[in-house]
Amino acid sequence: MSNLLSNILSPGFFFSIFRISAPILYATLAAIVVEKAGFANIGLEGLMMFSALFGSLASYYAGSWVVGFLTAVIVGVVMSLVMGFFAFQLQTDIILVGIAINLMGSGGTLFLCKIITDITEGKAMASTTGLVTSGICIPNISIPLIKDIPFIGEVISGHSLLTYLAFLVCILTSIMLYRTSLGLNIRAVGENSNAAASVGVSVLKIKYIAIGFSGLMSGFGGAFMSMSYAQGWSQDMVAGRGFIALAAQAMGGGECLGGMLSSLLFGFAQALGIKFSAVGLDSNLASPIPYAITIISLAIFGFVRINRAKKPKVAA
Amino acid sequence: MTRKREIIFSIVRGAMAIMIALLVAMLLIFISADGDSFGEKLSVTAEAMKQLLVGPIFRINATGIKFEGKRLADVFAAMIPTIFTGLSVCVMFAANQFNLGSEGGIMLGAFISAIVAIYMPLPRGLHALVCILAGGLVTGLVMLIPAILKVKLNVSEMVCSLMLNYIIMYIIKYLMNTSYADKSKGQIQTYPFLNSSKLPALSQAPIFTSSKLSWGIVIAVIAVVVMGFFMYRSRWGYQIRMIGINQDFAKYSGMKVGFVIVLSQIIGGFLAGAGGGIEMLGRYPSFSWSALPGYGWTGITVAILAGNNPWFVPLAAFFLAYLGKGCDMMATYANVPTQLIAIVQGVIFLFFAAESFLSRYRQSLVVKTAKEEIAAKMASSEEGGKKDE
Repeated sequence: MSNLLSNILSPGFFFSIFRISAPILYATLAAIVVEKAGFANIGLEGLMMFSALFGSLASYYAGSWVVGFLTAVIVGVVMSLVMGFFAFQLQTDIILVGIAINLMGSGGTLFLCKIITDITEGKAMASTTGLVTSGICIPNISIPLIKDIPFIGEVISGHSLLTYLAFLVCILTSIMLYRTSLGLNIRAVGENSNAAASVGVSVLKIKYIAIGFSGLMSGFGGAFMSMSYAQGWSQDMVAGRGFIALAAQAMGGGECLGGMLSSLLFGFAQALGIKFSAVGLDSNLASPIPYAITIISLAIFGFVRINRAKKPKVAA
Repeated sequence: MTRKREIIFSIVRGAMAIMIALLVAMLLIFISADGDSFGEKLSVTAEAMKQLLVGPIFRINATGIKFEGKRLADVFAAMIPTIFTGLSVCVMFAANQFNLGSEGGIMLGAFISAIVAIYMPLPRGLHALVCILAGGLVTGLVMLIPAILKVKLNVSEMVCSLMLNYIIMYIIKYLMNTSYADKSKGQIQTYPFLNSSKLPALSQAPIFTSSKLSWGIVIAVIAVVVMGFFMYRSRWGYQIRMIGINQDFAKYSGMKVGFVIVLSQIIGGFLAGAGGGIEMLGRYPSFSWSALPGYGWTGITVAILAGNNPWFVPLAAFFLAYLGKGCDMMATYANVPTQLIAIVQGVIFLFFAAESFLSRYRQSLVVKTAKEEIAAKMASSEEGGKKDE
């Protein structure tokens, strides 16, 4: 137990929390913005899988992480707009569109990886981990001055570019939602799309922007997964982060700050799981913790919300 | 619109969705095909498509095409788990509950059934029944978590059930590693099931034999009939469908909405769990699943293709099983990765779920019907007018 504690109180542990939280934060921001626009995108998981695959492939073939990163982002945005086309133009239930994207994202990416690279590992598997080297991964950045501060320097400095970007984008998203007319329009469409339409807001356009934004964020998250978190794409590597993000969105009350805090909570739980296995406990015992925390916290938040809704009635 | 035209429209629409998916598949195969010239690539693609479309039932070789009963039996065998998850999703989606827990549910049911099959000796026949019921009941109880949280605290059943899938998987993996694994085997698997618990193979006839096809398929068909009558001929089934169509209406007309929502998810859980048990006892000698099996997601596709109607579930399950087998054949004989199924399935899914897909065609049918009705009315009123004269 003391062994576990000393493991947890190390700077490496806190460092890993931020690293693990970053992709969850990207997906959470995606979930927050579409939720503000009044719908749910449960296809984040699949979008991140496609972005991760194409990002790693492009960075390998072009030999540059910039190309890979841009490809991942473009793939994410284009696929999310296709989702939007099905949902808004062809009137498909957005949840079903999400499920379809996830279906394709788990098996379809493996198919594409096989036919594009001609690599097969054993009979069934394939991955791009053999192709992506550290040279074409997104670089890590050590911050001058801060990196020399003991403990804090080790925790904050040396992260991937995309990790810092995640927290920056979180702030920017919050500004976008509450300080720009675009954000106002997004929230108006989500609150009452008829009212928004009556004052001249193009509801369809706003919805496309919102789902496109979720694709953009999935692109960031996917690129981070295959080009920084791991070197290369492998099957089901996103491992439910797109789903966890839906929970983080709900837990954070649909706001950016809350979403960031709940992403960090999930990062903490996963980092804890890794430390569990480091001291010899079965990691399968620690792995379900974030998922269980999600259900429990959703229940608590639901309970609080319902009590809050009841109170004014009692006073009246 | 007349009933006949409704049917024609659904058939055309389904056929179009399938055609588009096959075109996408063909395009992907063509791009990935080995070959230097256009013609060469085309012949490789044609060969692969032939395997996909007729391979599941026929053996294709130089001398011609020959019926293969074993392959057909494999297709039927693959239907067993997806019929159960399909029914499970139908019941929950019909009540407008997007519970995605069938995936974890079928794994949990399979695991519980396996444990009962190994550690609880009972007479033959009864043993299998107890295993399957245990798997179903435990899964049904677990589905109480998202159901009650939804009804009491308005927690999204979708997020909750997704999380449960992962929790179930990890806990089963943990239990396998620590308590139930047969340490003498290289792979992580349980001790073998007792013979009394196994579901026997359906057919021993050489033309139609497959080690994978058990009596489970008969149980699956019975489940379809039961669920079909339940959804369309029982009070609870009616309430489930009514809540799915308009929850407020159901509430104001005096239905116990909360109870019915919980009920639909318990039934959904039971079906998924029982399906897991049947799949396990009919097909495997011991439990060795180390990841979610994917049948839950296929079940969602089945339910969408069937329009949440249990009577169409076997048809949808057969279609997907046929495609799956076709992709396997293609992987074996034409060297196309079998995961193509995921893309084909996804595309078909999307177009089936798209409500406005071919809406112009539908509109033209509606207009045509209306015009005919008007014409008929005019004709009859003219006749009436003549009589008056």
